[in-house]
Amino acid sequence: MNEQEFSELYSSLTQEMRRGILVLAALSQLNDKKYGYALISSLAERGLEIDQGTLYPLLRRLESQGLLESTWDVEGPRPRRYYVLSPDGVRMLEALRADWDGLIGVMQHLLDEHPAQEN
Amino acid sequence: MDLIDRYLHEVGRYLPRNKRADILAELRSSLVDTLEGRVQGEAGEEDIVALLKEYGPPRKVAASYSSIGQYLIGPELYPLFRMIAGIVIAAVLGAQVLAFAVAVWIGEQQINPWESLAGLVNSIPMTLGMLVIVFAILQRFDVRPELDNEPWDPRSLPVYTEVEKVDRGELVVGIVAATVILGLLTFFPDYIGTFFNLEDGFFANPVIPRYLGWISLSLIASIGLDIYMLWRGHWTIPTRLVQIAVNLFSLLVIALLLQGHNAWLAEQGVGGFLSTLELLGEDIMNNLPIISMQAFRMGLGIALVVISIETVVQIFRLVRSILRRNTTPGMLPA
Repeated sequence: MNEQEFSELYSSLTQEMRRGILVLAALSQLNDKKYGYALISSLAERGLEIDQGTLYPLLRRLESQGLLESTWDVEGPRPRRYYVLSPDGVRMLEALRADWDGLIGVMQHLLDEHPAQEN
Repeated sequence: MDLIDRYLHEVGRYLPRNKRADILAELRSSLVDTLEGRVQGEAGEEDIVALLKEYGPPRKVAASYSSIGQYLIGPELYPLFRMIAGIVIAAVLGAQVLAFAVAVWIGEQQINPWESLAGLVNSIPMTLGMLVIVFAILQRFDVRPELDNEPWDPRSLPVYTEVEKVDRGELVVGIVAATVILGLLTFFPDYIGTFFNLEDGFFANPVIPRYLGWISLSLIASIGLDIYMLWRGHWTIPTRLVQIAVNLFSLLVIALLLQGHNAWLAEQGVGGFLSTLELLGEDIMNNLPIISMQAFRMGLGIALVVISIETVVQIFRLVRSILRRNTTPGMLPA
C-alpha cells in the first residue's frame, strides 16, 4: 500500500469511526434547546468538529425517530430552528451513555494489550 | 446574499416538495449564522464562496436529506431483486428454449435459428428492465421485504456438496461418444448416410456435410468442457454458464440440421412423419432415401428435445447455486 492509498483508507476508516459517535455527541449537547449553528460551535469548542452537511440531516433524522423535538423561534434577528431532547431522547441518551462507558473500558483494555509502537 | 439565494434555489430543486420550504429555511439561517460567526461586518463574495464550498454542491446537500437514500433499488430490496431476477430470467429462457424445441419438432414451417437466438438474447435485458421498473416503484414507496424477520435455523442450511459434484461416469460416456462421432465426421465425411444393402451400396446424407464445421465445433466445445469438468470435479457458476452456452450452441446446430432435412424432404414432396409410414407399405427399396432422411430427422429431433431439457435443468441448477451462494457466502470455491 503506498502513502496515498494508506491516507485515503485512513480517512475513510476514521470518518466511519467518527460517524458512529455523532448521534451520542449530538444528543449529549441537547438537554437544553440549541439551534444548529450553536450546536456545531458547542461541539467544536469541545474538540469535535462536525460539518454542517452532516449535522442538519442527522438532527432531522433524530427528530423523525422521536428522539428530538424542534421548534421555530422567530423572535431573534432571523428565524431559527431549535432542537431539544424529547423524553424518549433523554432515555436513549442514558442507555447509549451506559453502552459508551462499557465500550471505553473494553477498548482501552484491548488497546492496552498491544501498546502503540513507536515508528 | 445573491449567491446564497441562488444556492438555496438550486438545493431546493433536488428536495422533496413537502419538506423543501422547511429545509431551505433552516439551511438559510444556518448559512447566515455561520457567516456572522466568521466575518465581522458585511460578508464579501469570497467569504460566501468559501462557505458554500464547504457545504458542498447543491445536489449533494439535497441528497444528504433524503431519508430513503438515492437508490433505484436499495440495499434492503437488492437481495430480493437478485433472487427474483435469477428465477424470472431462467424461466423466460427455459420457456423459450422449450418452445423453440417444440416448434422445430412439430413444425414444418421455416424457423430461423439466428432470429430465435437473437430473441433469446434480447429477452434478458427486456425482462431485467421490467423487473427494475417494478422494484424501482417498490423502492420509491419504501416497501421493505420482511424476509429477515423469519426465524432461522442453521440446520435448515442446504447441503451443497452432493448436488455440485460432477457425475464422472456420465462425463466419460459423453466424451467417448462425442469423440467417436467427431472422428467419424472428420475421417469419413463421405460415409454419413444409410447403407441399403451390401450390393446396392449407400445413400449419402446430403445435408450433414454442409454443416460439418459447425457440428465439429459444437462437439469439440462439448468434449473440451467435459474434460475440464472431469479434472475439476465439481460444478461452479461459471462452468454451469459455459455448459449452458455450449448447449445453446448445440441446439442451434441441430436446428440448422433439422431445417436442412425439412427443406430436403419438402423438395421431394414429403410432408410429416406419418406420410412416410405409408411409403413403408409401398416400394420400400425406391423410397429408402426418404425413409433414411426421415430417420435422421427424427434422431435430430430427439437430440433437440433431450438437449433442451438438459439445458433447462442446467439453468435451474445454476439459479439454485446462485441462490445458495447468496445465502452461504464463502461456501463454494469460485
